[in-house]
Parts: sequence; C-alpha cells; structure tokens
Amino acid sequence: MFDLPIEGPALFSIPFGDIVDYASPYTLILFLFAALFTALAILSRPEQHADIIFGEDGVYTGRIPGPENRFQRFMAIACGLAAMGATVSGDIFNFCIFTSMVGLTCIGIVASSGNRHVLNAAFEYGIVTMIAMIPLFGGAAIVAATTGTLSIWELAGGAIAVPFVAKAFLVLGVMGEGMAPFYVAKAEITRAQGAPYILMIHVSSLLIFLRIIEIIITI
Amino acid sequence: MREREIREGHGSMVSRISRFISDFDNLVPAYALMIACVALIGLLTLPLLTYEPDQIYPKTLNPSSPLNPYDRGGAPFTAAEVHAQYPENAPYIGYVTGYLTPLSRFFAATTQYMGTTIVAHPGGIIDEILYYTRGLDTIVETSILFVAFAVASFLYRRREE
Repeated sequence: MFDLPIEGPALFSIPFGDIVDYASPYTLILFLFAALFTALAILSRPEQHADIIFGEDGVYTGRIPGPENRFQRFMAIACGLAAMGATVSGDIFNFCIFTSMVGLTCIGIVASSGNRHVLNAAFEYGIVTMIAMIPLFGGAAIVAATTGTLSIWELAGGAIAVPFVAKAFLVLGVMGEGMAPFYVAKAEITRAQGAPYILMIHVSSLLIFLRIIEIIITI
Repeated sequence: MREREIREGHGSMVSRISRFISDFDNLVPAYALMIACVALIGLLTLPLLTYEPDQIYPKTLNPSSPLNPYDRGGAPFTAAEVHAQYPENAPYIGYVTGYLTPLSRFFAATTQYMGTTIVAHPGGIIDEILYYTRGLDTIVETSILFVAFAVASFLYRRREE
C-alpha cells in the first residue's frame, strides 16, 4: 500500500503472486470506464447506419449482416477486458501484455469491416501495432535490466531511477498499440459500421494511454 | 480548388505536418521515424545505463544438471531457493519447481541431454516464475494467442463467403 501525490492512496489490491493489481482513485476510475464500455458492448445492439443523398430526400438504412457483427462484438468485449486488466495492473510487464492484447483486439474489430477503404487503413494500423510491440517490451526489458524489478510499487517514489529511454520506449509502444495520437488513421477506421464496437478502440486506447502516463510519472 | 489545397499544405509548419499525417499511408514512416529518434537517444545514453546485479528473477546455468538450460534448482518435496517480489503472496514458493513426473525423472536420471524434452512434455519442469509467481502473465499471453488465432481464422473463413 502506498500514498503518492499523483496516484492517491491505494484503496485495495488483488495479489496474483508477484503481480499485484491495485486500485487507487485514478486507476479505479479508468477501470470503471472500461467496465462501463464493456457492459455497453455486451448489452447494446449494433447501430444501423443511414446513408443520406445530398440534394435529394433519399435516406437509405444499411443493415449489417449477423456473423460479422458477432465477431466484432466478441473482439470488443475482449478489448474491454484487456483494457480493464491494463488499467489496474501493478506490474510493468503485465501492463505491456494487456496493452498488446488491446492492440491485437483492435485489429480484430477493424478487420471485421468489409469496406475496402477501411481495410486499407486497418492494414497500416496493424503494421504499426505489430511494430509497437518492440519498443513496448523493449522498454519493459530495459526497466527490468536497469532496476532489477518490474513491480510498480517497488519502482514508485523515485527511490530507484528508471532511465529516460525506458520510459520513452514504453510511451512510444503504447502510442503504437493504442494509436493514441494517430487519430488520422482512426478517422478512416471509424468509417466502419457498428458504432458501439468501434467505440471500444477509442476508449481502450485512451485508457491505456492515460495509464502509461500515470505509470511513467509514478516510477 | 486543387491549387488552393496544395498551397494550404505548404503554409506554416503545423499545416505541413498535419497534411503529411492526414494520409494514412504515411503512418508507418512517421511511427518508424519516432522509434528511430528514441532509439538514437537510447544509443547515445547507453553508457549511462547500468545493469542491476540484484535481479528479482536471477538465472544461473548449471551444465552438469540433466535439466540443464531450464534447471531452477530444488528436489521434489523440498523447497528450492526461489526469489519473489512478494513472498507473502506465494506460500508454496520453492516447492513447485522441483516437481517432476515419473517419466521426466526417468529421463533426468538416464541421460544428460534431454533437458528441452523434459521441459516441453506435459508435466515436465513447472517453472516457478512462469506458472506460479507470475502466472497471470502466462494466462494473458495465452489469451493473446487465442485472440490472434480468432482474428486469423475469421479473416481466413471470410474469403469463402
């Protein structure tokens, strides 16, 4: 248990051996957001998109075929669960694994779109997600090698110095996984249908980005 | 209209950058450039990084052991010396790694060169760190594999429709 200026007091912790998940006010809020959107993905029905023809009165309602949607919902739920794991993780390597799972499920969500333009954007996005695993796990490896530990509780408080490169690699990896600053590519992706499921990409990337910023300030 | 667009893209620095990244084909080069910059900083600050000798998960190689590259020490039913970050969360620490099935004990007693076979067959060496103190990592890794197979099979099956 600890009490830090950014993190706030630790409310409770769930030990999984050396990996101790903990909830502070900050991480608990992120976790609840992820849980809320996962519940939305489970409960809500997919939206039906409407194509409006300009200059006329024509409005077409598109219908999304079933199996495609089921897969998208499955991936959205998996993405939400991974985001929930990442937000409360108390271990840097564990956080990295959950983050890469978020990236992979995001590829799954966009890959289930049938639109050619969306798939082209998703391809580029997938390449970035795959590359991003190198800086992500590289950063975790540098942390382990230079400090000898991976637990955020041990590293917190500035008693053990974590090198700048490791932090930069971690942020870069999360940026690539969640595409947090690359909203350009996401704008293409959001042309895909199925609103509640596509939203999960944005929510999860936002949450893991907020979490990694908190982690690098804490350690 | 076209000329105006081009002029917009060559205005200030910000508009030039935003025009560059608005094309998603430039996404991978932009990301690669960022990685290259950070890697360069990493290479320049490499002399400042020092290896911490006091690792929580130390690894030693004992070539004379029949379990050679995977030997974590310990005999069955006795506790081995295994480090953990939070020993209070792992009451059975040290007992897990020494476990061998009768078949793997036979292999270990017979030959020196079956270490990989013993670790790869079911009930072989149960790595304390992989399956006990850091078991959650292993579970999530398996989930990642499952998700990856799900995506791949979905994409493969879609071709037929």
